[in-house]
Amino acid sequence: MIMLPQNMGSETNIKLPFSFILFSLIALVLSQILLLVNGQLIASGTFRIPVIWSSAHLLVLGWSLMAAMGSMYQLVPVAFLTKIWNETFGFIQFFVTAVGIVSFSGMLYWSPQNAMLPGILMLLGILMFLFQMFMTLKTQAKPTILTAFVGSALVCLFITISLGITLIYCLKTGFAGEYYQSIFKAHLLLGITGWFTLLIFGFSYKMVPMFSLSHGFPMVQAKYVFTFYISGLFLSLISFFTNNSLLLKIGFFLLLVGFTIFSWHISLIIKKRLKKTLDKPFTFALVAIGLGNLIHLAAFIMLWNHRFTNLIGALVYAYLLLWIVLSIVSYLYKIVPFLWWTFKYSKEIGKNKVPSLKEMMNEKIVIPLFSIFIAAILSVFCALTFHITVLFNIGQTILSIIFIIIAFSILHVLKK
Amino acid sequence: MMNIKEKILSALKSVYDPELNINVVDLGLIYNIEITESNDVTITMTLTTPGCPLHDSITSGVRYSVEGIEETKKVDVNLVWEPAWSPDKMTSEGLKLLGR
Repeated sequence: MIMLPQNMGSETNIKLPFSFILFSLIALVLSQILLLVNGQLIASGTFRIPVIWSSAHLLVLGWSLMAAMGSMYQLVPVAFLTKIWNETFGFIQFFVTAVGIVSFSGMLYWSPQNAMLPGILMLLGILMFLFQMFMTLKTQAKPTILTAFVGSALVCLFITISLGITLIYCLKTGFAGEYYQSIFKAHLLLGITGWFTLLIFGFSYKMVPMFSLSHGFPMVQAKYVFTFYISGLFLSLISFFTNNSLLLKIGFFLLLVGFTIFSWHISLIIKKRLKKTLDKPFTFALVAIGLGNLIHLAAFIMLWNHRFTNLIGALVYAYLLLWIVLSIVSYLYKIVPFLWWTFKYSKEIGKNKVPSLKEMMNEKIVIPLFSIFIAAILSVFCALTFHITVLFNIGQTILSIIFIIIAFSILHVLKK
Repeated sequence: MMNIKEKILSALKSVYDPELNINVVDLGLIYNIEITESNDVTITMTLTTPGCPLHDSITSGVRYSVEGIEETKKVDVNLVWEPAWSPDKMTSEGLKLLGR
């Protein structure tokens, strides 16, 4: 049996972020097993089936969202020098959200028509998280540009959920039917570029200098990243509801400019590093930034193509996997060893020889694993773009297997 | 024969920042070691970044290592952020370990 870690002193009780991250890895494995076991159905092109709904929600909510929440419980005190508002409330929030996600995904699998109630429970868990973060950030002595990034990300998450509920209400009652597509686009934009991207931007400004030991770099670029990206989000949102294609082009251009300044800024920080050789998982977090930037560029160029509406699905998939998922996975390879090290060795340091964080993780596996991971995503991306079913099936199967290996290799740290 | 300060420095060299795998002395984190006549010790130190997630672990490690020296009595660790840590505080050994 795995014992969950206890904290020491004034740091966050690591049992809290650890609970979220452990849950997220189990959800990741389950979501991929569901896909693999039902491979026959997917291979025949049947997507709108309960098992896919269940797997998709386990992946997006059970894994991505829970991993992001766990990471935030760990990183918010680090980045903002403030304690989590109420840790007991955090454990209750974990319990409510976990039960909500498990019952929601389970209900989608067995009895989709009864998914409303667990859905409300899951929603309550997410709202509790937002409240916890709002109360925590409120106590920060001096807000910084990081507060702007993370605060805006949380606002985007709130709007994304609200729009999601509106979508369900629209479907059930026919309310605001003419705006359904606009609301759906806004839900997607704020969910991935608003919530996840702004969150990764914000925490990158803390984690990149920390993991590369960079010193004496400028920070002025961060406010331009924020201004351009937020403006891009606003204009794109307005364009969805006004059907103004020029406004959408300007919005996408501003998003591209914001992301490009971010990439350039991170490269400036990396140039100022003291650590000559970077850890392999962290290197892939940097690769993810480059890939995210390329996808923003591709999306902007494709806006001029009359087939844009057909291509956007593949682009959203690539953005989600190559930028967001790759970033989260890369940082989990740093966060999980840290949490486990703190649990096992923080009382031993200074008394006995303790391993370094690098020694907690098998780094040799990272380059081949992540390279196959990227190649599999690119295969699925090509398959979606050119409608090649065989390529999709091969790519998705490899991807599911790699996801499971990644989850187990991260969990392997618990044996150290 | 080592004097008590040398023993403390030697003990501190066994405390490693687990992220960088460099000891706190070569990293330039130790600003001052004060020893009273009754062998009470106060270590003034910093960390590479405020809000370092290894804050408690490293400061506890510093205390444990000095408490392990027979001659020392009470050990205090005074964590300061001014002057802020900068790379020029590292030893040449520390920089070498970073590949510099």
